[in-house]
Amino acid sequence: MANFFSDFGHQKAEMARLLVLVGLLFFPLIGDDYLVAMLTQFIIYGVFAMGLSLVWGYTGILCFGHAVFFGLGAYIMALATKNMIPGITGILTTSLGAILLAIVIVMLFAVVLGYFLFYGRLSGPYLGIVTLAIAVISERIAVKWYYIGGYNGLINVPPLSIAGWEILNLKVLFYVILVIGLAVYLICNRIVRSPFGTILIAVRDNEIRAEFFGYNIAQFKIIIFAIGAAVAGLAGALFAAVTEFVSPTMLGFGLSTEVLIWVALGGKEALLASFLGAVLVRVLEAFLSDILTYYWILILGMFFVVCVMFFPKGVFGNLLAERPKH
Amino acid sequence: MDIAIQILNSLNYILVLILVAMGLVIIFGLMRVINMAHGEFFLIGAYTVVMTDQLGLGFWAGLLLSPIVVGLFGMVIEYLFIRHLYRRFLDTILATWGLSIAIKQLVIIIFGPEGLMVQPPLPQSVHFAGLEYPAYRLFIMGVALVIIFITFFIFFRTDFGLSARSVIANRDMAAALGINTRRMYRTTFMFGSALAGLAGAVMAPLMSCDPQMGLGFFIPAFLSILVGGAGTLAGILVGGAVVGGSDSFISFLFSPVTAQIVVFSLAIVLIRFRPEGLIGTRRRG
Repeated sequence: MANFFSDFGHQKAEMARLLVLVGLLFFPLIGDDYLVAMLTQFIIYGVFAMGLSLVWGYTGILCFGHAVFFGLGAYIMALATKNMIPGITGILTTSLGAILLAIVIVMLFAVVLGYFLFYGRLSGPYLGIVTLAIAVISERIAVKWYYIGGYNGLINVPPLSIAGWEILNLKVLFYVILVIGLAVYLICNRIVRSPFGTILIAVRDNEIRAEFFGYNIAQFKIIIFAIGAAVAGLAGALFAAVTEFVSPTMLGFGLSTEVLIWVALGGKEALLASFLGAVLVRVLEAFLSDILTYYWILILGMFFVVCVMFFPKGVFGNLLAERPKH
Repeated sequence: MDIAIQILNSLNYILVLILVAMGLVIIFGLMRVINMAHGEFFLIGAYTVVMTDQLGLGFWAGLLLSPIVVGLFGMVIEYLFIRHLYRRFLDTILATWGLSIAIKQLVIIIFGPEGLMVQPPLPQSVHFAGLEYPAYRLFIMGVALVIIFITFFIFFRTDFGLSARSVIANRDMAAALGINTRRMYRTTFMFGSALAGLAGAVMAPLMSCDPQMGLGFFIPAFLSILVGGAGTLAGILVGGAVVGGSDSFISFLFSPVTAQIVVFSLAIVLIRFRPEGLIGTRRRG
C-alpha cells in the first residue's frame, strides 16, 4: 500500500517535470518578444538557483554569498569577450571560450575558498556570516576597481555567439538558454542521484555520523561547493552575455539574499523546485512590483519567514522530491 | 593633535560596536540564536530618535524611548517567531534574516529610502589639554561605558546573571535545576534588542540615518564576536577593540571602503585559524 502511494507520488513528480518542460518549450509560441526576453533571464536565474540548491539544499552548507560566483562568472565573461584581460586572446575571447574560462576560474576560486573554509572547522552559522562578509568584500572591491568599470559596471558586453554567428533573435536565444539550462539540470540531477549525491545528503542530515562512516567531509563539501559555484558562474556568464551588461550588484549580498529566498521558497532540497522558485518569484515580481511598489519586498520577506518556519521544503519541494518517501 | 582626535574617534566607534555586539552575543550565547535582524533593531533605535526629532520632542526623549521601543519590539519578535525555532538552529538565521529584510522595507515605507539627519543634541565642543573635541562624542563614550559596565555587573554580580551564565554553560542542566529557561530567553532577547536600540539611538545624530545603516553595524559586530570568541562576554571587548580599532585606523589612513575590505578579510582569516576566538577556549556546542 505504501509502495503504491510512493509510486503515485513519484509519478506526480514526473508529470510535473514534464509539464514544466513542455510549458517552457512552447512559451515562445504564445509570448511576445518582451516576455520571451524576460523569461530568458529568469531561466538563467533558475540555473543560478540550482547551483545554490546543490550547496545549500543537498549538502546543508548555508552560503550567504553565492552571488559572488555568479558575479565573478559575469565579470570574467564580460572582460574576456571585451578583450580586456591581458594575455587572454584568440579562442578564449569568443562566447563559448569565455564561458568555459568563466566556469574554470570560478571553480578554481571556489576550490581555494572551500579549502580555506571547510578545513577550518567553520560550519553552520559561522560559515553563513563569513560568506556574507565575503559577498560584501567582493562588491566593495568591484566598486573600487575602475578598470572593471567601478560603480557603473561594464556595458556593451558582446552578445552570445556560436562559431562567429551572433544570436540576436530573441526566440533563438531563448531556446539556446533553455537547452543549456536543461543540460545543467540533467547533469546536476545525475550528480545528486549518484552515490556521491547520497553522501552529500548524509552530510546534510548528520555531519558527525557521516564522518564516522569514514568519509572526508571537508573534501565532499569542497567538491560540491565547486560544482555549485561553477553552475552559478555559468549562469553569471550567460547573464552578462544576454543582458550585455555587468555591475557590482551582481556580486553583492543583495543578489545573494535574493537567490537564497528563491531557493527557500521554491524548495531547496529539489533542483527543479529551486529553479521554479527563482522563475516564479521573478515572474511575480515583474507583475506585482508595479502594483505593490515598496510593499512587494515586505511581503516577500515575510513570506520567506513563514516559509522557513512552516514549510522548510518550500512550495514545490514535496511535489518534486527527488526520490519517493519510504 | 590629529592623532589624539583620531584615537578618541576610534574609541568612540569601538565602544558603540561593543554595545551592538554585546546584545548579539548575549542572545547568541544564551539562546543559541544568531539574530540577523540585530542590525535592524539598531536601525529602529536610530529611527525612533529621528521620529521624536521630527515630532519636536527632541533627541533626549528619543534616547530614553528607543531602548524601550526596541526592547518591546524584540519581545514581540521573540513571541511570534523566535520561540518556535529554538531547536532549529540554522532556521533561526534564515527567519531573522527574512525579518531583517521586512523591517528594513517597513522603514523605507514609513520614512522613505533617503538618509535623514537628526539635530545635533550637544553642539558645543569640550576644550581639554589643548584639544577640541565634540561634547556629544564624549557623551556617547560615557553612555557606552556605563551600559557595558551595567551589563557586566548584571551578568557577573546578580542572581539573574548567575542563572543566565548557567544557561549559557549548560542549558539542559540549568533547566533541570529549576531555572525557567523560557522566561530567561524572553528577558534576554528583550535586553539584547534594547541594547541594539540604544546603540542606534546614540549613533543617530552622528550619521545620516538611512535604511541600510543596520547592516553596516551588524557585520562588524558579528565579526568582532567571532574574532574575540563567542564563548565569553569578555571576548567581545577584545574583538570589538580589534575590529573597530583597525577599521577606524585604516579608514583614517586610506578610505572607509578600503578599511571595510581589509578588516573583513583579516577577520575572516583570523576566524578561520582561531575559530574559538582570540581569548576564547574551545567549547563544545
